[in-house]
Amino acid sequence: MGPTLIGTSKNIIRIKELIKHVAGTGLNIVISGETGVGKEVIAQKLYESSPRKGKPFIKINCAALPEGLLESELFGYERGAFTGAERKKRGKFKIAHEGVLFLDEIGDMSISLQSKLLHVLQSGEFAPLGSEKEIRTDTWVIAATNHDLEQDLKNGKFREDLYYRLNIIKIHISPLRERVEDIPLLIEYYIKIYNSQFVSKNLIKPNKNIMEKLLSYHWPGNVRQLQNVLKRSIVLNDWEKIIGEFSTSIDNAKKDSITSKLPPEKFTPVADFINFEGENSPDLASFSLKKIRKNITDKVEKEAISYVLGKTGWNRSNAAKILKISYKTLLYKISDLNIAPPQ
Amino acid sequence: MANPYKILIIDDNEEILNVLYNFFRKKKYDVASASNGLDGLKLFEAEKDGFDLVITDLVMPNISGVAIITIVKRKYPDMPVIAITGWGEHPEALAIESHADLVFKKPFELPELDKAITDLLSKKKAKDLS
Repeated sequence: MGPTLIGTSKNIIRIKELIKHVAGTGLNIVISGETGVGKEVIAQKLYESSPRKGKPFIKINCAALPEGLLESELFGYERGAFTGAERKKRGKFKIAHEGVLFLDEIGDMSISLQSKLLHVLQSGEFAPLGSEKEIRTDTWVIAATNHDLEQDLKNGKFREDLYYRLNIIKIHISPLRERVEDIPLLIEYYIKIYNSQFVSKNLIKPNKNIMEKLLSYHWPGNVRQLQNVLKRSIVLNDWEKIIGEFSTSIDNAKKDSITSKLPPEKFTPVADFINFEGENSPDLASFSLKKIRKNITDKVEKEAISYVLGKTGWNRSNAAKILKISYKTLLYKISDLNIAPPQ
Repeated sequence: MANPYKILIIDDNEEILNVLYNFFRKKKYDVASASNGLDGLKLFEAEKDGFDLVITDLVMPNISGVAIITIVKRKYPDMPVIAITGWGEHPEALAIESHADLVFKKPFELPELDKAITDLLSKKKAKDLS
């Protein structure tokens, strides 16, 4: 049985439809999305739904290998091609012939290797290192990336011609926080799987309160992180404990998302205040209103003084007049609050 | 007199899509339109008797125009396909490689596109009859 795509969100439904319509075409595909969203699952699903099913599915991570090694992995080499090449090595393009070559983290491939990849995609041929003879390959290339390739294109980190040749079909997987409705289904699915894997354990589904917490978390590690949390929950067999462990980060994440929506320069003291509070738990001994007040006052004063100094071109006596404090106090504040003139 | 030809237009720019749709409707073509590659492909697959001609933008989300051209030409090598693009040389080269009959660079004049379509359709008709 192939991998299952779990979810009823618009994004997942659209991806399922796309797979149905393009799996048979063998056209180059780029799968994009944050770390842990399941790009490889989509690649496997495409393979399973294609006429190439049963032929090789070869995966290579372009970020995991240094350039030279990646090149010899992709194209292979002849015996004696370089010092240490005692035996001939078949490249992934040869091994994946008639099947699928899944190029993970394509955005991390060097520019010079990108041009070699482009050559294979254009001609359907490649030459192993140390060989003059080109070998034909019929390989379906599916690439994946968590980069914004359009941005890499602008920065000159990704070849434009390769970009267009790979992006014949684009599949974007949304992060988990943007498809919250999929979380309960994923939880149910993985609990079933893990319960069968860990024989002695039997985790029950999270109750409403816990589910709410799971839904409000921002899941920076996406489905992979959710899987890890579920595995831990099964081993510990205790939802409350697991939730307790990351509820602090849930709260902080929520606050982060609130404060990040506010214009930062206007709300710095408020944001700091919240962070201060977050940092203090669980050690309430060091919590003090006086400290918080001092913290906020310092922040506000620092911003106000910096602003006025900026406006006066760092003329301290003018700034002191505007701020209605003595010249001496201003000098003290500048040193105490660590205010530095612009470079 | 009703124009007997069925054409499919795919472009993710709704404004251009509307202009093309209305223009060819006025010319009495039977027009179907889609604002992305997947919807366009679905229309193409659902049309039992096939279209007489396809016009597609090249750079689009999900399924690109290059994919559309390749899929259409594999199924019906003689079906005329016109690519329209505003994205420079690379997509254009790929469109030609996937056997688009014509590539129109944005912006273009509608009467020119109209004339190209008439020519392609009459060529196809002559070929079908021979």
